Amino acid sequence: MNHTGTLLKENILSSFDDIHVDVVDEQRVSVKCKKNLVIAVLSYLKRSGYNHLVLISCVDWIKDNELELVYIISAYTEESEKGKMNILVKTRITRDKPELHTVIDVFENAEPYERELHELYGIHFKGHPRLTPLFLEREYEIPPFRKDFDTRKYVQEVFDQIPFVEDKKGGK
Amino acid sequence: MDRNKLGKWLQSPGKMAQKYSLHVLYFCTGCGIIEIPPSITTRWDAERFGVIPVATPRQANLFLITGYVSVKTLRFIIRSYEQMPEPKFTVGFGSCPINGGMYWDSYNTIKHLDKYIPVDGWIAGCMPRPEAVFVAVTHLWTLIDKGMADGYKKYREDYQYYRENQEKILGKLEWPPLFSNIENERK
Repeated sequence: MNHTGTLLKENILSSFDDIHVDVVDEQRVSVKCKKNLVIAVLSYLKRSGYNHLVLISCVDWIKDNELELVYIISAYTEESEKGKMNILVKTRITRDKPELHTVIDVFENAEPYERELHELYGIHFKGHPRLTPLFLEREYEIPPFRKDFDTRKYVQEVFDQIPFVEDKKGGK
Repeated sequence: MDRNKLGKWLQSPGKMAQKYSLHVLYFCTGCGIIEIPPSITTRWDAERFGVIPVATPRQANLFLITGYVSVKTLRFIIRSYEQMPEPKFTVGFGSCPINGGMYWDSYNTIKHLDKYIPVDGWIAGCMPRPEAVFVAVTHLWTLIDKGMADGYKKYREDYQYYRENQEKILGKLEWPPLFSNIENERK
């Protein structure tokens, strides 16, 4: 019988106060913590062998006025039980002034993910070496992946306003 | 050579040569490029129609835009198009360059490609089959025969309108106008 998830839950609960751990199933553990604990939790996981940051994703909870960041951690390891694990470290930050410390010191490959989140959700990562645009060329008033960004209105205001060349010639 | 076409060859050798040596620049913007490898390789051998893929815009005279055009790629599409020698023809491949397709309300894809560069023909579909490429090529032949594939002439004539539209989306362009002298003459 496989108890990796339950074991990990006990380990995390014994090392941190004020943390909420859910064992979704034995290979998927979700950890909810405050934003000042993120780096501590991630480096704890790294030390216990989960050394691969798969992805950082973000969820916009517009009714709670909060953004939820999800760090997905797994492991490169020979141990089959550990290698199958997926750990979701979740933290919530306020939507109005989203700020968080970067986790590049722990996982170096977080850099492009954080740049992307900065661009699409407007989250400011303190200590990030270059928070420059990654994909987008235009500037948006509201970052475009937030729920209150109205894509249809934006399209009508920007792309639909550009006239066809034939119309333009006819008008003049 | 087809003997029936001998008259045409003698009448307008330039047009016939343009027709049967379409060197294609594939702009791999989106999913449409998936249809291109089968159409240029043995299954639907594109060289039967004189269609050959080339490496750079400087060698090409048919510009095939395969898939959606995001704001960032529009900049490079314009640059590549301006580098191509005349006569040049553009074909939009798939429904995304026509009117946005499934990205009609996206925040970062442009909806009508012909607002920014002249487009001679469209291949509708999402995605079009490789056969559709050849249908488009044969249509393009008739257009060239009748002198209706004149997108590059339009670009020359209406360059200032096109440039205005481009600058509205991309901000200030970092390269100088292609046809500055013509613009000045008109003024």
